[in-house]
Amino acid sequence: MSEIKPEGPAAAADSSEEQDWAAAKAFFDSLKTKVPRPPKPQFAVTIAVSSRTLFNMVAERKIYEEEGLEKYVAFQVEHEDEPLSPGPAFPFVKALMNVNSRLRQLYPDSEELFDIVLMTNNHAQVGVRLINSINHYGLTIERFCMTGGQSPIGYLKAYMTNLYLSKDSEKVTDAIEEEIAAATMFMRQSETELSDTQLRVAFDGDAVLFSDESEIIVKQHGLDTFFEHEKKFENKPLAQGPLKCFLEALGKLQRKFYAKNERMNCPIRTFLVTARSAASSGARVLKTLRSWGLEIDEALFLAGAPKGPLLQKIKPHIFFDDQMFHIEGAKELGTISAHVPYGIGQKYNRGKLIEEPAEKK
Amino acid sequence: MVSVVLNTDVKQEDAGNAVVVAVTSRALFESGLEDDDAGVWKLSLAFPLLQAVQKVNDCLLEKNPAESLLLDVLLITTDSQHQKLSSLLISSTKHHGLGVGKFCFASEETFVDSLLENNVQLFLSTNKDEVQTASQKGVPSAMLEARKKDSSVSCQREDLRVWLDEDLISLRDSASEPGSRHSPQRFLAKLGEIRQRFSVSDSPLWISLVILHGSRENCGKRLKTLRSLGVSVDDVYCLAGAPSEPLLSVLQPHFRFNCCFMD
Repeated sequence: MSEIKPEGPAAAADSSEEQDWAAAKAFFDSLKTKVPRPPKPQFAVTIAVSSRTLFNMVAERKIYEEEGLEKYVAFQVEHEDEPLSPGPAFPFVKALMNVNSRLRQLYPDSEELFDIVLMTNNHAQVGVRLINSINHYGLTIERFCMTGGQSPIGYLKAYMTNLYLSKDSEKVTDAIEEEIAAATMFMRQSETELSDTQLRVAFDGDAVLFSDESEIIVKQHGLDTFFEHEKKFENKPLAQGPLKCFLEALGKLQRKFYAKNERMNCPIRTFLVTARSAASSGARVLKTLRSWGLEIDEALFLAGAPKGPLLQKIKPHIFFDDQMFHIEGAKELGTISAHVPYGIGQKYNRGKLIEEPAEKK
Repeated sequence: MVSVVLNTDVKQEDAGNAVVVAVTSRALFESGLEDDDAGVWKLSLAFPLLQAVQKVNDCLLEKNPAESLLLDVLLITTDSQHQKLSSLLISSTKHHGLGVGKFCFASEETFVDSLLENNVQLFLSTNKDEVQTASQKGVPSAMLEARKKDSSVSCQREDLRVWLDEDLISLRDSASEPGSRHSPQRFLAKLGEIRQRFSVSDSPLWISLVILHGSRENCGKRLKTLRSLGVSVDDVYCLAGAPSEPLLSVLQPHFRFNCCFMD
């Protein structure tokens, strides 16, 4: 699983790092706490969630925007014994925890687990309320990074993050530019009941798992050219997209269950939900996945039909898509959606090219 | 023989309220490398720290020209070789216009006593043994950190970045004298007081708390302990055993202070 994370420092440094880790492990075990020991980051699948995705902080955010930072911090401190209510990433985090307990049962000594990190640019004083809220729900989050206003990007790498979820699209865009899988989360508009025994993750194809090369063709040359192109290049794998590595990480954990004969009872299930049609452009996608050695449990080709109703049936804990149009549709019908701000899709809104905004900083 | 000399180029601070920070001569100067034109020593690792301390003092005085809670820097020699080079040290300091208030010329055997006599509340060195010795005798001490040129964390004019941690593992291995419990708390309280002079978002002093080991329970407890000492930490990182080097290179603290929180 070390391929998921870049190689650590030179071998000479490794043995002192090993010693440090052994000491840290021993120390944690000596605490006699019921909390399971967090895994070694090098081997874990690290998911960084922001405070506003983990908890619902809409009211508090309003105070920050209308009354400023000092009043916001003071408010949080005043209410620090009141737990916050769950945010959009909450069900996803609970599902990750469930996978971890299954993994720990089957592989008690393995460090190949999900590691959930709270990654927020909140001030440390707000941290007490966040910690109290985490305690209230019994979430297994032992690693935090509360940056006191600094951008989390440098810290994402320091914590070896595999996936970053935030409500701030600017931070998410910065993360993707640094080649860290990331998405902007949205609260769903209605509640559908989600599985509490299986983590279900749905991905769009183009510009999420795959690059936006084909989407560029659709936007610039139309569907017919797109179909011709995809048929012609059916056997040429697409380039990878920002969430490919996360799918890969899920696949590695799934195989641990298969190895123990738990395929039928695997607590992770992945879905591809694409606007491509099976007949004309689907083959390339499946062949690309195969060439990467990746499996996806269910591939659903919609041939342009809306994704919302299908996702309503799938009930994923999270659905990744690069186009806001699909995110809106999914949200309306009760699916927790996460926007991946990558590729040509960002320049279009419902098929029309957006006017270029003034140059940002 | 230990002697204390005042730096006449620098305004002396009110001894009652100032926080005395001692820095070793070996940390501040690269000895043996003389600047040919002026015959003085070149600056070393501790220079950014002095600049940051200067910034904090400047900002404090800007807010209140009569401020007495300032950082007072004492330059101390900790070996007999440097002890003999007092005039060169003084001239080098003055040449570079450094904000050093006092000089203290001590040797390996006498420097800890000097620290205690001069009411030093923080001792900074690049020598691990010196830090340990001073710490065991009750002087809050820390190793100065080497700083990278580019950091992904932006500081405008060098803010003073302090990393507080609690290395519970190595703490068990090095016993310190019972009487020393109070000193780290005293230093932290002063640090907290200085931090309180500035607002949440606009401060030349930045205090980071890093929880190296254990679970989130530690984290909540430490935030509250520090709060009760009057220290409002800016950012907090709970590593739960994860390696700290990556975080160290992002945060770029001037020094890392191992607080001995005693429950």
